[in-house]
Amino acid sequence: MTAIRIQGLTKTFDGFTALSDIDLDVAPGEFVTLLGPSGCGKTTLLKVISGFLEPTEGKIFIEGSDVTAIPPERRDTALCFQSYALFPHLTVRQNLEFGLRQKKLPRSDRDERVKDVSQKLDLAAQMDKLPNQLSGGQQQRVSLGRALVMRPKVILFDEPLSNLDAKLRDQVRIEIRRIQRDYGLTAIYVTHDQSEALAMSDRVVLLNSGRIEQVDTPETLYHRPRTRFAADFIGNSNVFTGQVLGEDSPGRWNIETPAGIFTCALEDAPHGKEVALCWRPEHAVIGETGIEARVLNRAFQGHFTDLACAAGNGEFRVQALETTAREGDVIRIHVPPDRIRLLEDRP
Amino acid sequence: MTREQLNKALLILLLVICTIWLVIPFGMAILWSLVDPSEPWTADRLLPPAMSFWRWRDMWENSSLQVAMATSYTLAPLAALLSLALATPTAYALGRIAFPGRELAKLLCLLPLVVPGFVTAIFFTSLLFQLGLHTWRFGAILFAHAVLALPYAIRIMTVSFEQVRQDHIDAARDLGATPLARFRVAFLPALRPGIFATLLIVFIQSIEEFAIAFILGSPDVVTIPTLLFSALGQDYVRPNAAVLSLILVVPNVILMLILERLLKSANPTLASGKG
Repeated sequence: MTAIRIQGLTKTFDGFTALSDIDLDVAPGEFVTLLGPSGCGKTTLLKVISGFLEPTEGKIFIEGSDVTAIPPERRDTALCFQSYALFPHLTVRQNLEFGLRQKKLPRSDRDERVKDVSQKLDLAAQMDKLPNQLSGGQQQRVSLGRALVMRPKVILFDEPLSNLDAKLRDQVRIEIRRIQRDYGLTAIYVTHDQSEALAMSDRVVLLNSGRIEQVDTPETLYHRPRTRFAADFIGNSNVFTGQVLGEDSPGRWNIETPAGIFTCALEDAPHGKEVALCWRPEHAVIGETGIEARVLNRAFQGHFTDLACAAGNGEFRVQALETTAREGDVIRIHVPPDRIRLLEDRP
Repeated sequence: MTREQLNKALLILLLVICTIWLVIPFGMAILWSLVDPSEPWTADRLLPPAMSFWRWRDMWENSSLQVAMATSYTLAPLAALLSLALATPTAYALGRIAFPGRELAKLLCLLPLVVPGFVTAIFFTSLLFQLGLHTWRFGAILFAHAVLALPYAIRIMTVSFEQVRQDHIDAARDLGATPLARFRVAFLPALRPGIFATLLIVFIQSIEEFAIAFILGSPDVVTIPTLLFSALGQDYVRPNAAVLSLILVVPNVILMLILERLLKSANPTLASGKG
């Protein structure tokens, strides 16, 4: 059984289509990230799942039952807000207890759950403080705790780390994942940060202007992007349009691009003559063979060096671990055939 | 003279002016209220020659002061509550619902304040007469005070409703709160200072209002200002007027101090997270 099933979901606001025809299944215990640039509809989708927005079309099921018409207060989801949304006049304990009081849980159960969560989140010493006496990281944990005490079927995160500084972010990332696993929660996590999405998720849902661009594991999404958008949004990519020249040897196809001819390994023959291909800057090998390229700019990044290159009528980026190439130098670039991907969208 | 010294001198000057501004009228009112009828306070004396509480006792026992105070202090809190009740729905709409022309509506709500009080009073009372409300004079004054204080009440409550954070409402909802619980946890803490401010300001407005209370009330209903104005009129006795004006102003000063404290203490609880 799926934990969440989204079927044919469309949401329009006064003629503006925020989400169109979204289908998604999430397995129990799975951590799924909704990733995309701002305005892609990821927060709208989260609000529809939590019940704050009603879909224009389509249905949502949680553990098999249709919850499309159920308001957020009766939906078994718990939301962690970007702003934390802690009640400022209530202590940490009262904040954690709030949802349980609404459920009219007996006092002993309440105390037990709050104690359990406060220990797991290392909040035991802060229980009688007000939220504004806590650091950002602590407030973030209270907000997570307030969702966890509800023991929801689904936990939803709305960019929970965007108000934390970079160092704390990495730490909380790991913590959120650990707790999600410990409690066996199904999680949907909204972010615009691709490294967060790649690091945390079981699967990433890449959204672009209200449509699902690609749903895959982080590895597949990175190594086998299906569209130009996916290739560009996740990591860096060199994308070219080109003409298929023909099969060089079995499974090896030559494609002519403005930057030169690339040989790619393909299982099936390309559809049509015009194609779009991409490869990652770190997969290019600088050596004795391959395309001749002139270095336009060199940027040392610490663990690699970023080279902007020009070849023929095309430009691309190359990342080398160690290189002596300088601006103006001519180098030779070879991209292994199995590192080149054909994109599905038409050039 | 350095810039710092100049700043300091100007600050002291300002404080002195403010002090004089407050101290002289107050001091004079207090002194005049203490003038004993046995010997008048003539212009050649710095202080009254004989001082006693005779005027205070006399006003308390031999005028309609007791009745007037009872009326004023029943009228003002009721007007404050009524005005708050009338203003809240409008303020909710202006503060929390997006609709075309909202800014214009906010401005229109403040517009009555530019009309001089007496002008409003004359025409508003004629309206009440036409509605037949004048048959219950106290009720008519109460209604008029509540309505005329609406611009203040709506303005303050609108700002308060704008302060309520949508994420708090949503969080309460997400955690299963009923509409009442949502109001208590998300709305009330943000609204509380505004509610107190509204109550106090309408209270003070009503306590000090003369024109409407006079037109609608006289001669049956006497409030402190109508009593004061009559003491300023044909039978003007300065010491008696001083007693009345002090009685009028002292509760207001106390209320202002309470208000100040409330507004100060209420602010930090509004801040949370990135705020």
